[in-house]
Amino acid sequence: MIRIESEPWAAMVAHAREAYPNECCGAMLGVSDGDKTVRVAMRLENAFEGAQATRYELRPEDLLAADKAARERQMDLIGIYHSHPDCDAYFSKTDLQNSCPWYSFVVLSIRQGEFHHANSWLPNFDQTDAAKEELTY
Amino acid sequence: MAKVLIPTPLRQFTGKQDAVTVAGATVGEVLSALTTQYSDLRKQIFTEEGKLRSFVNVYLNDEDIRYLGKDATAVEDGDTLSLVPSIAGGSAVAAPPEEVTLSNDEILRYSRHLIIPEVGIEGQKKLKAAKVLLVGTGGLGAPLGLYLAAAGVGKIGLVDFDVVDFTNLQRQVIHSTNDVGRPKIDSATEKMLAINPNVKIVKHEVALTSENALDIIKDYDCVVDGTDNFPTRYLVNDACVLLNKPNVYGSIFRFEGQSTVFAYEGGPCYRCLYPEPPPPGLVPSCAEGGVLGILPGTIGLIQATETVKLILGIGESLVGRLLLYDALGMRFRELKLRKNPACPMCGDHPTITRLIDYHQFCGVPQPAQAPPVEETKVNEGEIDVVELKQKIDRGDNFVLIDVREPHEYKICSIPGSKLIPLGEFPKHVAEFDPAADIVIHCKSGMRSAKACAVLKQNGFQHVRNVVGGILAWSDKVDPSVPKY
Repeated sequence: MIRIESEPWAAMVAHAREAYPNECCGAMLGVSDGDKTVRVAMRLENAFEGAQATRYELRPEDLLAADKAARERQMDLIGIYHSHPDCDAYFSKTDLQNSCPWYSFVVLSIRQGEFHHANSWLPNFDQTDAAKEELTY
Repeated sequence: MAKVLIPTPLRQFTGKQDAVTVAGATVGEVLSALTTQYSDLRKQIFTEEGKLRSFVNVYLNDEDIRYLGKDATAVEDGDTLSLVPSIAGGSAVAAPPEEVTLSNDEILRYSRHLIIPEVGIEGQKKLKAAKVLLVGTGGLGAPLGLYLAAAGVGKIGLVDFDVVDFTNLQRQVIHSTNDVGRPKIDSATEKMLAINPNVKIVKHEVALTSENALDIIKDYDCVVDGTDNFPTRYLVNDACVLLNKPNVYGSIFRFEGQSTVFAYEGGPCYRCLYPEPPPPGLVPSCAEGGVLGILPGTIGLIQATETVKLILGIGESLVGRLLLYDALGMRFRELKLRKNPACPMCGDHPTITRLIDYHQFCGVPQPAQAPPVEETKVNEGEIDVVELKQKIDRGDNFVLIDVREPHEYKICSIPGSKLIPLGEFPKHVAEFDPAADIVIHCKSGMRSAKACAVLKQNGFQHVRNVVGGILAWSDKVDPSVPKY
């Protein structure tokens, strides 16, 4: 189960709305003791070279920086978020094939520029399937 | 000797330490020593073959080792190694492979696509890289084939084993009058290549069956269902769910059509909408019930639009929505479709895990291997059209009943027949003498067989069904009677 506190949640939604019609992405920092709590949302740049309406890519060095930022705040990097403009918050094949089983993946569905719904996913090692994780915000 | 920074989720394997110092002169040696010391970490980082997992990048200080000396990169004391996953994604479709390029001719041809920002060069390359299977080249398949070829879908597979018939021409605009008698697949391929010689057409001149469906479908990204019967529709659905391929669905009847996208991104499948097929004969096919010729154009093009959107990964797909079209009212409506958790195919606990016998499932007989009309067997309770003609000519005392609809009767009829449409037939049973000699016909013999059964249930002894109906009459007795 993953819970996103109101401040980071508002930041994530705002980020997704600003990026619309493109996808946004970022890191979720917080604490994990079985259940995960997101305390800080950290915007990262969508580094995909091409149409960003349907794709995002995180630079490894940005992810490294997010991990470092988490350590500095005595927090953990516990997940990644990105948006699906005008699409549902499913975990697409593209998401799956470029995922990592170590983190929670929160997907925000943005329709016509407004937040619609969100899901959190836990991909498996083989990048063949993702389980839905209980999400509260 | 190097310090390895451990990402949060992996610290459970390193005794909660966020950094571990391990010995080694190269990156490979350090990682090997690390995963020897913390063996549970091994599975997280390496595959069973001992290769770094595809999502793991290794950084030496600030540099990706792929751009240094990879595993052999030298490590010095005080260096820091980081394990960084590569993460990307997106709402829908993967970018086209790098080897896909557009020639100058193609850039000119697709210019009206290329100047739409949502398509552009990237999108047109996606179309070129796409592989789409069209099941059927009939009413729905005709506009689909023409427009998907024109749009530049790189590889289009066609499944059809039928031959072009005069009755197809009213709507199957991919076939011309000159094509009557030719295999539909040849006629369709010719038209599609004439529009766009850049696309590759793959012909599957077979009936799609449980034996061949998975093998045919597996090579495509997406299936478009243009079939006209329930066994094939369930077969296409189940094969698509099993292979995890989106199924772009359309169906038509008279003035009404439906379309949606099944088995895509966790959405519902055809069985979530219709768990069971309708009783055989309840839902008439186009051949039985008729269809406005333009209707499959409208529905087929909705399917083509959805297909192109799926390929491009743009817009809002019809997943989870059933679009209903009423041509007479000229209205579109939408029903919400939900995935059924109890669905035997795509639910939480699927009970159907392989393809089944779909003719048996739908309660319809396996299509016979095209029996020649001349050799049609006349069974007990049936009469051949030639014998019927002799009966009429002899002036036998009998009743000839036509159970077609009045608008069909206006097209053609057999002299001396009495019209009682099948729907009204049961009300008229009492008007007949149970001892009378009764012969019943319809267009091809299906409806009249039902009428015969009704009379027999009511104790009638001398009831016979005209084999092949008025179509056989036109073939064998009176060619001046038009076929429809």
